[in-house]
Amino acid sequence: MTAFIRVWLLAMATATTLAVDLDGRPVTQLAPPGSRAVVLFFAASDCPVSNRYIPEIQRLTRQFEPSGVRVWFVYPNPGDSAKVVRAHDQEFSITARTALDNKQSLTQMAHATTTPEAAVFIPERGGLHEVYRGRIDDRYLSLGAERPQATRHDLEEAIRAVLAGKPVPQPGGPPVGCSIVTLQP
Amino acid sequence: MNKVGRVWWWILAVGLWAGEVAATAQDSAVTWSHQIAPLVYNNCTTCHHPGGAGPFSLLTYEDARRWGKQMATVTASRYMPPWLPEHGYGDFADERRLSNEEIALIAKWVQTGMAEGEASAAPPAPKYSDTWQYGTPDLVLKVERPFTLPASGTDVFRNFVLPYPLKQTHYIRAMEIRPAVPQIVHHANILIDRTASFRRAHPAQWKEGVPGMELEVDTGNDFDPDSNFLFWKPDTPVLVEPEGMPWRLDPGNDLILNMHLKPSGKPETASAEIGLYFTDKPPSKQPMLLQLEHDAALDIPAGDRDFVVEDALRLPVDVEVLGIYPHAHYLGKRMEAWATLPDQKKKWLILIPSWDIDRQSVYRYRTPVFLPKGSVVHMRYTYDNSSANEHNPHSPPVRVKAGNRSEDEMAHLWLQVLPVNVPPGSPDPRLLLQEAWMRNWLNKDPGDIIPLYNLASALAAQGKYQDALVVYRHALALHPGDERTLNELGATLENSGDWQQAQKVFLQDIADHPGTCNARFNLARSDLKHDQASAAEQQFRTMLAQCPADATIHSGLGAALDSEGHSDAAEAEFRAALQIDAHDFTALYNLGSLALQSNQPQQAADLLQGAVEQRPKDADAHQELAAAYALSGRMSDAVVQLRAAITLSPANPDLHAQLSQALASTGQLEPAIAERKAALHLRADDADDWNNLGVLEARAGRIGQAREDFLRALQLAPNHAQARSNLQRLPPS
Repeated sequence: MTAFIRVWLLAMATATTLAVDLDGRPVTQLAPPGSRAVVLFFAASDCPVSNRYIPEIQRLTRQFEPSGVRVWFVYPNPGDSAKVVRAHDQEFSITARTALDNKQSLTQMAHATTTPEAAVFIPERGGLHEVYRGRIDDRYLSLGAERPQATRHDLEEAIRAVLAGKPVPQPGGPPVGCSIVTLQP
Repeated sequence: MNKVGRVWWWILAVGLWAGEVAATAQDSAVTWSHQIAPLVYNNCTTCHHPGGAGPFSLLTYEDARRWGKQMATVTASRYMPPWLPEHGYGDFADERRLSNEEIALIAKWVQTGMAEGEASAAPPAPKYSDTWQYGTPDLVLKVERPFTLPASGTDVFRNFVLPYPLKQTHYIRAMEIRPAVPQIVHHANILIDRTASFRRAHPAQWKEGVPGMELEVDTGNDFDPDSNFLFWKPDTPVLVEPEGMPWRLDPGNDLILNMHLKPSGKPETASAEIGLYFTDKPPSKQPMLLQLEHDAALDIPAGDRDFVVEDALRLPVDVEVLGIYPHAHYLGKRMEAWATLPDQKKKWLILIPSWDIDRQSVYRYRTPVFLPKGSVVHMRYTYDNSSANEHNPHSPPVRVKAGNRSEDEMAHLWLQVLPVNVPPGSPDPRLLLQEAWMRNWLNKDPGDIIPLYNLASALAAQGKYQDALVVYRHALALHPGDERTLNELGATLENSGDWQQAQKVFLQDIADHPGTCNARFNLARSDLKHDQASAAEQQFRTMLAQCPADATIHSGLGAALDSEGHSDAAEAEFRAALQIDAHDFTALYNLGSLALQSNQPQQAADLLQGAVEQRPKDADAHQELAAAYALSGRMSDAVVQLRAAITLSPANPDLHAQLSQALASTGQLEPAIAERKAALHLRADDADDWNNLGVLEARAGRIGQAREDFLRALQLAPNHAQARSNLQRLPPS
């Protein structure tokens, strides 16, 4: 399979705030120096499929953070306020970094459409290259078509490829879950 | 790649829909208030309300707007509302299915920006109780030790045992199940374990629940087939049984709650409360759950995409099909069930083109489906054990056989049928259904003890003792020493009249299985019947020590004590029986008789009325009740009871004689004379009857007739003082 790499240059130097953390502080640095990859997990506190993937994302976080993979839970929907997300993170024992994508900048940067959906970036020359965007695994083929368990772990394979410096395999199917709510002007 | 292709095709189809809608309905604006809210309230909010079984609420415009895109997607794919049967193959109540027009309306609403419209025009949102939907239950059962469902992993199937705690039998007209977290429960089935067999089989585990998708329970010794589907799914929290068809719980029964649980992403408490609503009225209709299956044929090669399993059952009686429950696990693909009528016409019962265990359900027909005797019910299931079946639990696929784990398979079709057009005087039609079911089962599994035993029992219950004995002996040849089969062999011998042989079989069963309660009970009853009351007493006392508390043991012991002349001790046992089961016939009848003997006719009448209600076809009970009424001075009530007894037992001269007396005391001389003559027709040599007939003739003014009657009495009994004195008192003719 040929790797399909979309390049997105992130201008870290500008003053634009990408997102905020749960205390309302701007998130200015998705990838601290030395990071080898950034994973954005697009989540919605009220989306059941998204919630079902939380343990899997936490597993991947524990497994790959020591190798320099920085994982963010990103909440793009307008209803997911700091208060709602804080309660949700507590309820689901989420310990990973959390970003409120209140302007949907990260959503646009990643071209995410769905929760749950993941994007993987590689830091490069002061910017981030998106090398993967899509489903976490193949457990859900559509709403209503669900495997008892996943047979292919697309996101994990992508992360491993990045760490191994190999071409990154792309998702084998579309993300399944809840559409990200469009921001009203 | 195939799977992915399907997904994309499906998304395209959604787009197609939207295009069509745009072309056909240009002008009329679709708004929440006017079109969408009524549709959502009618079809979605029973689950999708705060605290409901759905994962989110759709009660308000803001809610619907949040989920609009999903609503368009999942209604177009018909994932929602959840409904598996194909429209037009069986007409089901509560069909939860949107019309194409409704689906198009949602698509258009979303496409055109999800307008609210005039808020005041929206119908009021339905209200849902946050406690019991059906009101305060008469009894609430709770899972004793909640189970913690892990945050992630495969679905979990778990069986919780809820013992029925009451000491009285109750009939249940409705049931509501309230899972602690309804969002994690796909569906739940409740089984009645009449003998607490599952709990006893898992003594260390039952409190926190036992894993497994299917289970078998011991139904006990009486023919007491399951009658009602007790099935919970998210949109049906309350099960209300049709009029006249409540189900029953006896002391010592367990309910087993079999829950299909879905991990949510965080650890969840899997627990539930079951609310029961009682009725005083016993069932007036007796439906039965009937099964087609062919698990033995399930041996599905890895990769097979079209593995077919079939079964067919010929109905021995007319029935109405009230409900249907198809069941397979993850490999099931297409399910068909139909009946071939005696005229060879095909009548569809159900078609599920794309099975999904997650959305399984019991389906009830809008109107009962009549199937005449001789109809053949067919099931035909297709399984897909290839990797193209996304539900396949094995990757790569492996050979799969029948079993109760979720990764095994099943091929079951349950029907709830109500026998109809039963000719008067024929045996319980459920026995004929049971016989047909078991013969069908034996065709598939000839050596299986369950159908052998059940077939023999069904034959015995129809009074076909010799046929039953053949099957029991065959079963024992295949399964030597089987406790229950031995016991039933003994019971059938007893019923066939060979009680000496029966007692030998019971004794052998007790010797082989000293803990048996069944054989002891039957031996005790046999002892009682054959004037061995002290032996019976001994068996009943052993049972009281080692068998579960049971009304029939107490009432049996009471009967033994009564036969031995210990009426006070007997009375105490009968009262203990009624404490456990207020409907125990033996206790009601005997206590009533004892009250009658101790000249408490009012109390006797109350008890004996209860006995008659339990066994309306017991002539003795009617006769005793008549005596109680007569002693209370309620002569016309006594007449009614005696007439009922005579209908059941027309050749009993005592009943005619008593009826004659009751009629005479209410001044109905001629009918009284007719009944006395009826008694004499049955026993012409009874001097008392002739004397009493003479009295009635005399009162009717027929002196000559009276004289002849008294003379006849004196001829039969020359020392009959009353006849002599009556004769002397007659005026000269």
